[in-house]
Amino acid sequence: MNSDGTTRGGKLEKFSYDDQIVRWFIIATLIWGAVAMLLGITIAFQLADWHVNMNLQWITFGRLRPLHTNAAIFAFCGNAIFAGVYYSHQRLLKARLFNDLLSRIHFWGWQLIIVSAALTLPFGLTAGKEYAELEWPIDIAITVIWVIFAVNFFGTIIRRRERHIYVAIWFYIATIITVAVLHIVNSMEVPVSIFKSYSMYAGVQDALVQWWYGHNAVAFFLTTPFLGLMYYFVPKAANRPVYSYRLSIIHFWSLVFIYIWAGPHHLLYTTLPEWAQTLGMVFSISLWAPSWGGMINGLLTMRGVWDKVRTDPVLKFMALALTFYGMATFEGPLLSIKSVNAIAHFTDWIPGHVHAGTIGWNYLLIAGILYYMVPKLWNAKIYSVRLANIQFWTATIGLVLYVVSMWVAGITQSLMWRAIDSTGKLVYPNFIETVVKIVPMYWVRAIGGTLVFISFLIMFYNLYKTAKSGSIEAEPVLEAYALNSSSEEPNAAAHRKLEGWPMIFAVLSLIAILVGSGIELIPAMLSQKYIVKMSVVKPYTPLELMGRDLYVREGCYLCHSQTVRPMTHEVLRYGKASEAAEFVYDHPFQWGSKRTGPDLARVGGKYPNKWHFRHMWDPREVTAGSIMPRYMWLFDQKIDYDILKKKMSVMQTLGVPYTNAEVEGSVDAAKKQAEGIRDNLMESGVSKEVVNKEIVALIAYLQRIGVDYGKSEVSQ
Amino acid sequence: MKEDNKLHVEENEKHLLMDHNYDGIQELNHPLPFWWSFTFYGAIVFSTCYFVYYMFLGGPSLRQEFQKDYAVIIAYQQEYKKKEGIFDPELYAKFSTPENTKKGEEVFTNNCMTCHQEKGRGDIGPNLTDEYWLWAKGTPATIYPVVFNGVPDNGMPVWSEVLSKEEIYEAVAYVQTLHHTHQPNGKAPQGVKVDDN
Repeated sequence: MNSDGTTRGGKLEKFSYDDQIVRWFIIATLIWGAVAMLLGITIAFQLADWHVNMNLQWITFGRLRPLHTNAAIFAFCGNAIFAGVYYSHQRLLKARLFNDLLSRIHFWGWQLIIVSAALTLPFGLTAGKEYAELEWPIDIAITVIWVIFAVNFFGTIIRRRERHIYVAIWFYIATIITVAVLHIVNSMEVPVSIFKSYSMYAGVQDALVQWWYGHNAVAFFLTTPFLGLMYYFVPKAANRPVYSYRLSIIHFWSLVFIYIWAGPHHLLYTTLPEWAQTLGMVFSISLWAPSWGGMINGLLTMRGVWDKVRTDPVLKFMALALTFYGMATFEGPLLSIKSVNAIAHFTDWIPGHVHAGTIGWNYLLIAGILYYMVPKLWNAKIYSVRLANIQFWTATIGLVLYVVSMWVAGITQSLMWRAIDSTGKLVYPNFIETVVKIVPMYWVRAIGGTLVFISFLIMFYNLYKTAKSGSIEAEPVLEAYALNSSSEEPNAAAHRKLEGWPMIFAVLSLIAILVGSGIELIPAMLSQKYIVKMSVVKPYTPLELMGRDLYVREGCYLCHSQTVRPMTHEVLRYGKASEAAEFVYDHPFQWGSKRTGPDLARVGGKYPNKWHFRHMWDPREVTAGSIMPRYMWLFDQKIDYDILKKKMSVMQTLGVPYTNAEVEGSVDAAKKQAEGIRDNLMESGVSKEVVNKEIVALIAYLQRIGVDYGKSEVSQ
Repeated sequence: MKEDNKLHVEENEKHLLMDHNYDGIQELNHPLPFWWSFTFYGAIVFSTCYFVYYMFLGGPSLRQEFQKDYAVIIAYQQEYKKKEGIFDPELYAKFSTPENTKKGEEVFTNNCMTCHQEKGRGDIGPNLTDEYWLWAKGTPATIYPVVFNGVPDNGMPVWSEVLSKEEIYEAVAYVQTLHHTHQPNGKAPQGVKVDDN
């Protein structure tokens, strides 16, 4: 029996592969990869030295960081996924992509989305949720293009000439379905204007949905599609059979089923109910073996050809990528253990961990795949194996510098945060001491990142020269038999049968991811008792709401958290531990995930207005050694009162208890509050007239954060 | 380019080769490595036990653990505040030597200057170089408790939670040297005039 169809019945059909679309996606991968990494090293140097922000609002850290993450994940990795999927999908199914026009709409649509990200994020147009910052019109465009991708993908499956779908395609299916679910659920937002919307969810709910999404963006955008690519390109490059079919089955299903539960490990020690936190932790631990299943199946496929790994750039990059994948997926479960997370969360250990994955696994695997595809698609030999080797070592050294410096920085800072002496006081009460200490590590990281960027440019050049030396030939015409009943395997095991029913396979994958999603999300969505309301917690005033939007616009949440964990050192440093009821009016939540600066959950009332005034003008005026950028434009730009009423009424729609009178009178109320702050500033010696400037709205918000409960008599 | 390499299959795994073939990719069917299965099932067993213990069998919640930990530290703090919150003239004498006053200037620069400005001319916080006082009366004995306990409602931090008592005495000694100096560009007087010194 031969399952490749050549000896089977059915009609012999002629077809060809659409490789042109793959070439386009490869070029896009290279361009956006360079852009994403350039942005990455820019923000890395901004952390090492605040001057690199250049006092320009459009390139200040808080605006560029979302652009870096979006570019790296969706532009660089996204285009690489599409290139690799379209290349392998056709070959694994012996069928041309479903529709050439859809492929082209997919390509140009995706590039347009990326360009629109670059044209909105630097201007502060952001939804304020990590890795989902893009505003609602772009969210809709992403949905449309993703559906087009899905139609093209499943259409190809329908027209396949190969009865059974290979493990790579299992992973592609899980990717396409899950990303659609994640994106749509997390992007539920109510528009205020064409460039502004508020998340439908608030506070704890929003946090849960966001990190269910955020973690699974890692899972189903940076892991499952790449595992699928690995399953195609590693055995092809190594000329080896895949190590274990059985392992493929068990690690695929366990990975897909378990991954979706793991999101709450980003919210340990927060006000998320503890059962959900614990689920997040235990499912993360259970994820260790399923992840390693992929690593083993990749690395052991190279068994017997290790000599080629030494010489062949393709295999070399793939072997290292799989090794880093194994490292990152061991570190992940480790970090999700509550007591380890208590130390690592909010520190630089986390960006270190993430980059072990994105650089170590995604970039290096992409490098291997590109070195495989480009010579084939342009009919050429790799221009220089030597350059590929130089790239390999430059990237490796850069990555090691990155990861190690972030381990050191993260653990050092965390130990300083939590140190308490025998008189019961913090050993390092001034947060800035813990920042200054790790700045040298920020330099090491920036240098490591620069090496990674240089390595990428080397590959760019090497592949350009490779393509240039070759030529694109006419698509070869291939022949294969159409599917008919002769390729059915009636006595096959259940899973083998399932591989012959791709649509049922897709439905089962959907069910697998909906189980965990449903159990974690539905109670949060339905139960009103989920959050016990506190009568002291009131909605923001109109001016504070405007200030909050500025907080979101400037990306403050990327360096400042807004949640005090129930830990002694945090309560000593910041004040009362946060409660779920405090966040019920927060659309979107702004808990953040990193403390480059201190937590702000209790900053309201901590300093006088003038402190904030001077601090936003130049942080170093009040905190020597601060690495925070200056925000001078807040002192020039006027508060946009025109949109205020609309904002208030959208908030009303979302369930914030503003009365109609409050909405109607919001502009007057805001102006009155602004005058109060202006008067207070003038009393303390500020001579500049700032009553209608953004700084006043921001101060109003900062002075309100965490006050209602924090300053109330209600005890913990 | 042509695929010119033949599939590499080791002698001892030929019997594991399956008849699957996708674009030339074949599959072996090695059994699951023992250590992998052990990790897989072990993690699930651990997870189940962990969840059941903490959710159903009365394992302490994160909040309960925090409360326990916090109570211990608060007891330490209270003991310290009770003991050291009262001005001790002997200690002050010990920490107001010219050398200590110099150290006090450093403490002032790093902590107090943000609000009281250079040489205490006042900015966010009041002017320390005139005869007007809001909370203290200008003497070390009256300044010390204000620094030690702070005036949280007015933005003056509880410095005993930040500085050691030695540092507070030194800073108070430095502030004494500023008194009556009437720094240029000083903040307008606040509080009550104290004439006694």
